[in-house]
Amino acid sequence: MKKIVKGVLMASAVAFAGATGVAAEGEKYILVSHAPDSDSWWNTIKNGIALAGDQMGVEVEYRNPPTGDLADMARIIDQAAASGPNGIITTLADPDILEGPIKAAVDSGIDVIIMNTGTPEKAREVGALMYVGQPEYDAGLAAGQRAKGDGISSFLCVNHYIVQPSSQERCQGFADGLGIELGEQMIDAGQDPAEIKNRVLAYLSANPDTDAVLTLGPTSADPTILALEENGMAGDIYFGTFDLGGEIVKGIKSGVIQWGIDQQPFLQAYLPVVVMTNYHRYGVLPGNNINSGPGFVTADGLEKIEEFAGEYR
Amino acid sequence: MTEDTNFHHGDVQGQDPIIRMIDIEKHFGSVIALAGVSFDLKPGECHCLLGDNGAGKSTFIKTMSGVHKPTAGEIIFEDKPMHFEDPRDAIEAGIATVHQHLAMIPLMSVSRNFFMGNEPTRKVAGISFFDKKLADEITMEEMRKMGINLRGPDQAVGTLSGGERQTVAIARAVHFGAKILILDEPTSALGVRQTSNVLATIDKVRSQGVGVVFISHNVRHALAVGDRFTVLNRGKTLGTAKRGEISPEELQDLMAGGQELAQLEGSLGGTV
Amino acid sequence: MAESAQSAVGGDERVKEISPLRQALIRPELGGMVGTVAVFTFFLLFAFDSGMFTSQGVMNWSVVSAQFMIIAVGACLLMIAGEFDLSVGSMIGFAGMMIAIFSVTLSWPVWIAIMVTFVLCVSIGALNGFIVVRTGLPSFIVTLAFLFILRGFTIFLPQTIERKTIIGGIRDVAEGDWLASVFGGKIGQGFFVWLGDNDLIGTFERGTREGQPVVDGIPMLIIWAIALIIFGHVLLTKTKFGNWIFASGGDAEAARNSGVPVNRVKVLMFMFTAFCATVFATCQVMEFGSAGADRGLLKEFEAIIAVVIGGALLTGGYGSVLGAALGALIFGVVQQGLFFAGVESSLFRVFLGVILLGAVILNTYIRRIITGER
Repeated sequence: MKKIVKGVLMASAVAFAGATGVAAEGEKYILVSHAPDSDSWWNTIKNGIALAGDQMGVEVEYRNPPTGDLADMARIIDQAAASGPNGIITTLADPDILEGPIKAAVDSGIDVIIMNTGTPEKAREVGALMYVGQPEYDAGLAAGQRAKGDGISSFLCVNHYIVQPSSQERCQGFADGLGIELGEQMIDAGQDPAEIKNRVLAYLSANPDTDAVLTLGPTSADPTILALEENGMAGDIYFGTFDLGGEIVKGIKSGVIQWGIDQQPFLQAYLPVVVMTNYHRYGVLPGNNINSGPGFVTADGLEKIEEFAGEYR
Repeated sequence: MTEDTNFHHGDVQGQDPIIRMIDIEKHFGSVIALAGVSFDLKPGECHCLLGDNGAGKSTFIKTMSGVHKPTAGEIIFEDKPMHFEDPRDAIEAGIATVHQHLAMIPLMSVSRNFFMGNEPTRKVAGISFFDKKLADEITMEEMRKMGINLRGPDQAVGTLSGGERQTVAIARAVHFGAKILILDEPTSALGVRQTSNVLATIDKVRSQGVGVVFISHNVRHALAVGDRFTVLNRGKTLGTAKRGEISPEELQDLMAGGQELAQLEGSLGGTV
Repeated sequence: MAESAQSAVGGDERVKEISPLRQALIRPELGGMVGTVAVFTFFLLFAFDSGMFTSQGVMNWSVVSAQFMIIAVGACLLMIAGEFDLSVGSMIGFAGMMIAIFSVTLSWPVWIAIMVTFVLCVSIGALNGFIVVRTGLPSFIVTLAFLFILRGFTIFLPQTIERKTIIGGIRDVAEGDWLASVFGGKIGQGFFVWLGDNDLIGTFERGTREGQPVVDGIPMLIIWAIALIIFGHVLLTKTKFGNWIFASGGDAEAARNSGVPVNRVKVLMFMFTAFCATVFATCQVMEFGSAGADRGLLKEFEAIIAVVIGGALLTGGYGSVLGAALGALIFGVVQQGLFFAGVESSLFRVFLGVILLGAVILNTYIRRIITGER
């Protein structure tokens, strides 16, 4: 037991070293995401709220379920509400689960903004102030229509987070944009880079006449780039991706990737903090939802993006 | 009437054997492990089964305790021919085996070990519960009888010495109605003092009328407690001798199969 | 002569009397008790004003702890019986998904969906156990296989049937179902309303639930946790079967030699573990109204960690259900409490690792005391 006590003290020392973060006398906002720890894309979000916290002089925190389990996420929202912040910024990855905790938070007097995953309608339903993000299906549809214009008629959707409905909306939207059935063209790639790479290789060698590859973020895009380099399809096959990251930007620059759909996650984290702080301080609130994306990023005008990719882009 | 010693008190009365194994043969494929072994045991007798490694002792006692079925030969138990399908049959008939190692669970208390598989129960509101109080009382009582002073019934078996563990296992078998107790090398891994504990226990059990089969390759231990001695060599009986009719040297010779050891013993000066 | 034998065995002067402290040390719950006190002291000191000890905060970590407790009870008994089940997390996902498919996709009455799911999952638990005892393979490998098999089906089935990996709408079909409320309901609402009216606990400030207490009842999840703990504790310490569980895990061969039906004990414990996982899943599905393919990820390890913190030996044969429950409480309180204390969430793992290591070292020490190893 001595050991446990010692352990507690030790860990607490570690804990307080890390807890200093962004401490300010002002308001406190908590951002709850649905992403597992392994998803590096959310780093931009963390940087976004940290910057907003600094600039506005408020306390911000980032929370997520370590394994991406949405039931755990619901508990985190409950918990966030119980700790009495001024506002909660959260994704709405599965309304069935999250509706209850979010409504309870709203009812107990905490303002909520829905970011990233969700829809403006759902955000209104749960009583959130607004929705900041990119409607997934619409983004997929727009990308699909663009690809159709480029003469694409079949594709592979590399889905690395298949358990969340929003991932499938992206693929479904893309298929609908092309005007084809999604069918077997979406693969469950898993989260491990080596596995993703091998699955892409396997699919493409089994279906060599695939016109295009669609990846859903850096997690699936980075290994896919490697796979295409390995089988020689890089630059030849039509390659589009959701979201940006260091490798993706390089890929766009070198012509391996035709376009990236930037939903500008930075804004999704930054704006809610700014909006809420101003709302709580001065009572001002924008009258509508904010669409942070989609924006197509192509080889033209990459400089700023290159500089801040993976950090703020 | 043989002489009383530390571990031997009084002779067996002239009773009929409780078990007779007649011309037992056991073949494993082309290997003949037992080639006609005969053996019997009377109540209250300690019958030592001696033999070197590979002589067939283990196969023989496994046949007796129902693990193996004999290829040929007859087992007469309490005057009736017996066919054991599995060890449970033998246990139910009253043949208990105390194995060299696998007898006790060190992490469990003595009383839980003692009643393992035979827990007393007590009904409360139609549900039967483990009657721990009764189990503890019986355990303490039985251990006292065997001369082991426990700190309490909750003491873990792991804290007991090897000899004490054997004693608990023997006491357990007797408590649950064993008529025949097969002890497989109970003293082989023990020190002098612990060995004497176990031999004393065997003597106590014997005097309660339980037949004991004592397997050993240590002649001294066998002679200290045994009433009769049967020597096995290469799957055959080399003969059975009564207490007082055979000297340690003769037994040692029989076990090793004769001459070689006689020479060896000469060079070692009778220390084996 | 009897005296000489007596003196030879009795009263071994080399065995020192065990001090009461050492005696207390070998109780498996002790580590859990001290840990619980330490953890609460810590958070009372550092997170008292953070909302952790408001009614809402208490309910939050109680529910999380209760979740851990439900799976820890099963994992604890199984571990004492000498086996592991790594498929618990996948079983949670699978069971939830089955309930969703039966009740929403196939439109069965919810109570039938729940019962069929229980039968199905407990049978899978039995299959797990059967394979382990029949093949003699380590349960680690067998249940690892089921971890993948069940998770695979949990993703495959809803994708094939509904083209999505989350099936919602269970709350609607479960409305008024008698069995659903046994898992997803709450009790004691009246009491909490009274507490709210008397300002003893907080009430909602606005919205449709204005004036209602922020905590409106004790979830059935907690009731299940308590019931399973009591059941597990009584089974383990007060029944014949409990003795068999200890024996099977302590030394299966010795137990068999003494006539304990080791295989049956182990298979039943696998079934009980599956049962606990299904209770977990059912409570979750009924509370949240949807089943997802990602539910229960890594829960098997959380269960094992809680059990080990609670004093059970990984090697089997020793442990306590109460200890495991305390382990689950520590786990839940630490996980939620660090947040209230304002600690960066990624450090939770550091904390957990330290506690786990401490608990395992302590357990090894305890075993040495019990078995007298040096």
